[in-house]
Amino acid sequence: MISLAGRDILHSWGKFVFTGVGLGLLIGVTLTMAGVYRGMVADARALLDNSGADLWVVQQDTLGPYAESSSIHDDSYRSLLTLPGVAGAANVTYLTMQVGRGESDVRVMVVGLANGDPSTPGWPPYLIAGRHITRGHYEAVADVSSGFALGERITIRRHQYTVVGLTRRMVSSSGDPMVFIPLKDAQQAQFLKDNDAIWQNRRRTLANPALNPPGAPRLAEAVLASQTTNMSVNAVLVTLARGHDPSTVAGDIRRWKRLAAYTREQMEGILIGKLIASSARQIAMFLVILAAVSAAIVAFIIYTLTLDKIREIAVLKLIGTRNRTIATMILQQALALGLTGFVVGKITATFAAPLFPKYVLLIPMDTLRAVVAVAAICVLASVSAIRMALKVDPAEAIGG
Amino acid sequence: MSAPSLRHRALALTAALVPVLALFAYVAVNSGPMAPIAVTIAQAESRIIAPSLFGIATVEARHRYRIGPTAPGRLDSLLVDVGDKVTAGQLLGTMAPVDLGNRALALDAATQRGEAVVREAEARHHQAGDRARRYSRLFELGSISEEQANAARDDFRAATAALAAARAGLASNKADREALAAQQNHLNLITPAAGLVVSRNADPGTTLVAGEAVVEVVDTGSLWLNARFDQRGSASLASAQEVTIELRSRGKRPLPGKVLWVEPVADTVTEEIQAKILFDPLPDPLPAIGELAEVSVSLPAGKAVVAIPNSAIRRQDGVAGVWKMSGSHHEFVPITLGMADLDGWVEVLEGVVEGDKVVHYSEGQITAGRRLKVVDSLVDARP
Amino acid sequence: MTGTGIRIEGLRKRYGKGDTAVDALKQVDMAVAPGEVVGLIGPSGSGKSTLLKCLGAVIEPSGGRMVLGDQVIYDNGWRIRDLRDLRRDKIGFVFQAPYLIPFLDVLDNVALLPMLAGVKNREARTRARALLDALDVGHRVAAMPRQLSGGEQQRVAIARGLINCPPVILADEPTAPLDSERAMAVIRILNDMAKSQNTAIIVVTHDEKIIPTFKRLYHIRDGVTHEELGAGRFP
Repeated sequence: MISLAGRDILHSWGKFVFTGVGLGLLIGVTLTMAGVYRGMVADARALLDNSGADLWVVQQDTLGPYAESSSIHDDSYRSLLTLPGVAGAANVTYLTMQVGRGESDVRVMVVGLANGDPSTPGWPPYLIAGRHITRGHYEAVADVSSGFALGERITIRRHQYTVVGLTRRMVSSSGDPMVFIPLKDAQQAQFLKDNDAIWQNRRRTLANPALNPPGAPRLAEAVLASQTTNMSVNAVLVTLARGHDPSTVAGDIRRWKRLAAYTREQMEGILIGKLIASSARQIAMFLVILAAVSAAIVAFIIYTLTLDKIREIAVLKLIGTRNRTIATMILQQALALGLTGFVVGKITATFAAPLFPKYVLLIPMDTLRAVVAVAAICVLASVSAIRMALKVDPAEAIGG
Repeated sequence: MSAPSLRHRALALTAALVPVLALFAYVAVNSGPMAPIAVTIAQAESRIIAPSLFGIATVEARHRYRIGPTAPGRLDSLLVDVGDKVTAGQLLGTMAPVDLGNRALALDAATQRGEAVVREAEARHHQAGDRARRYSRLFELGSISEEQANAARDDFRAATAALAAARAGLASNKADREALAAQQNHLNLITPAAGLVVSRNADPGTTLVAGEAVVEVVDTGSLWLNARFDQRGSASLASAQEVTIELRSRGKRPLPGKVLWVEPVADTVTEEIQAKILFDPLPDPLPAIGELAEVSVSLPAGKAVVAIPNSAIRRQDGVAGVWKMSGSHHEFVPITLGMADLDGWVEVLEGVVEGDKVVHYSEGQITAGRRLKVVDSLVDARP
Repeated sequence: MTGTGIRIEGLRKRYGKGDTAVDALKQVDMAVAPGEVVGLIGPSGSGKSTLLKCLGAVIEPSGGRMVLGDQVIYDNGWRIRDLRDLRRDKIGFVFQAPYLIPFLDVLDNVALLPMLAGVKNREARTRARALLDALDVGHRVAAMPRQLSGGEQQRVAIARGLINCPPVILADEPTAPLDSERAMAVIRILNDMAKSQNTAIIVVTHDEKIIPTFKRLYHIRDGVTHEELGAGRFP
């Protein structure tokens, strides 16, 4: 017996390939959309992984530092170091802002790193070029997605920083590249306003008789100095010694230090459950719609292909072809089309993924699910086509 | 057998499919979470770590004089402006004398009166003295009674006392007058030393309180830098060490300097150590006071030690370490770190020996299970 | 294969119901013995196609009897179950139009039928090649149907109808697109097949060239058949 499906495909291979490629692009878009969703979740997880912390200690009653703004004193870390189970505690600040680069600026998340060596929490866990920060001021490590190059000078507020190292996949939960600078500089950047605002503030302070009494000329100076220093950080990253339970230590911190402390699971819940929840749901809905549309189009294509062959199917039935043979032909063609589409789609998705501005993650599980889904859709679509084929009246073959 | 054209077509289609499927297989294996991570390798070297301490500093003047009145009053005149060079003892301005002039006249008159009183007391003293001596001779001769002689002597003593009183009164007046003169002197604002006027805080006619600075004068020869270094790594900071100073205004033209001393009191709030650094020599033109500068102190270098670039240091379970390569196998080795220099080389005290190959840059997080792919450079890799 | 012949008694076919009903066939009596080639002629609208469709078990008659050899395939409302087997093994079709499968080449278009019946591919193709040679299209075995002329396509279709050596062959205007030489070749083949395979062949035609070759003819007019004797002459 010859393969009717194979012969038909060989005969009209152009149409078949064209349809397969078109279907493939549709499947590729769907796969990419799934990748966008996974990328968002991966970004959120990467943020937590890269900080290297076991606990996040933030201002009481806030969900910070990523989901909500949090401000705690920069010497709180000292009292945290005394708690049992705490191996290390490092201050960290986060600020999303525009960073100057030549004429234009780039939106980044500026992270303030506590002094130490590269194993301190908050420091980027790996570099792809350059080195870590060694000077206490005016050096920066930037993520490569920011577009900054090694040796470039970037402007943050009023200081210029030299990019000494590059990292990869260090992004905020909304996909903005991170730039790491020393903590003191970051504290200043977070707090200090532009020169004009400082002038205005100075003028107001000096004009206030409570702050600038006539008999005490040095008071105004002290007040101004205190107004322009920032002694807050956004969070303290805590690492625990081996064998200590994060929830227990977090509980201690909450009870005795009157700060909020979150374990890794809780932070993940906050980030994924609150911060990216609505965007993720949006994409998930769109993904469902896209999948449904793809399914409908696949079904339509297979139905139409069968419709084109109605005459031949009638003749085949007339000359005595078994229903099963005809059904197999249609099913085989549908599966071949689906498989072609899938292969094209997977290749397209893989090559398109890096072109997106934010991270797109294609995981093998999704690919497997896609294979199963495409196969199922093809089978279901061919069912209706087969039913139509089998209902064909061979009498149509003998016209007139 | 199948007809030739059909076979050709089948072969052609298969030939077209093969590269597509190969591409698909490549994509499946090389992308996503199963792909190998590209890394570069570095070798632990024996190097002399030339540690250097980096801090930021502000230009300040060692001697800064704030000149103002010692009593409340109104500023009468100001003779200098910002930027003027002044010499020691130069008059810079005056405060309004208020009633001091009238008081001086009053005191002058009082002095004159005092002088007159003294002259009167002197005359009376002279007269009483003569009389006492005469009555004493007369008593010796028996012409007058003892009572009369004593009375004359008492009058003489009284006159002597009155003279002393009058002289004291004159001295008091003179002292008052001198005090007033001193006060009048203090209406003059005088610089104690030579220098440059850097600030003019009030104009004539302004009412000032005691101690308020009207003019600030700086000894320009005494400019130094107040530098702040992070407490970490500043153990070997000491005086007389060489410093490279980069003033903000002068960009990339560093100036030489020396550490004068390290402050014994550190800043507990900012966790910094402070030191005073001198320019060596003073630059010309002088930098502005308050200007920011970046300073790098070259600490004494030790002998050659095993060192790795700091981008090879990784963190695992809260411990610092490196991924050591042995053949194609990689494992995490905890290390103890020592000195570091400003170029990113760090001394390794324990864990790694010279010649060990460690993972330097990597595309992603390395775990024991992931495959690694050694490349030369990562910078053109896709983000 | 032993011949079976086909016998039709009192066949009727009514389309529609009530006032709009049309009697396409009113009284059809035909009998074709194994080895016989009879012609069926009649004007258009006389019920030829309807009769053919009934004979081919494509449509169901409204009444009468159809017997294939000693197997009753229709009897007043009752119809044999396995129509497909009937069409594949017992009745060979040659249509008015070729109706070749466009995505199979000529050889496989013909070889498909024995393959469907379970014959091995190689043997099916050998048989097909022989038949195509006999029909003078052997040189086109590798071509696709659309590359053939109308006449060539028709001959391929005829080969397809004959290849399973069915006991009954229904041919609907088989020679219409052919020239006289080719037409005679076809009729000769049909006669040869009838003789060698004991096939009963009914040829619907109004081709003047071949009508004289039939020994027996059936005229059908207004749904009623009349038998008559033909010339039975081969030129």
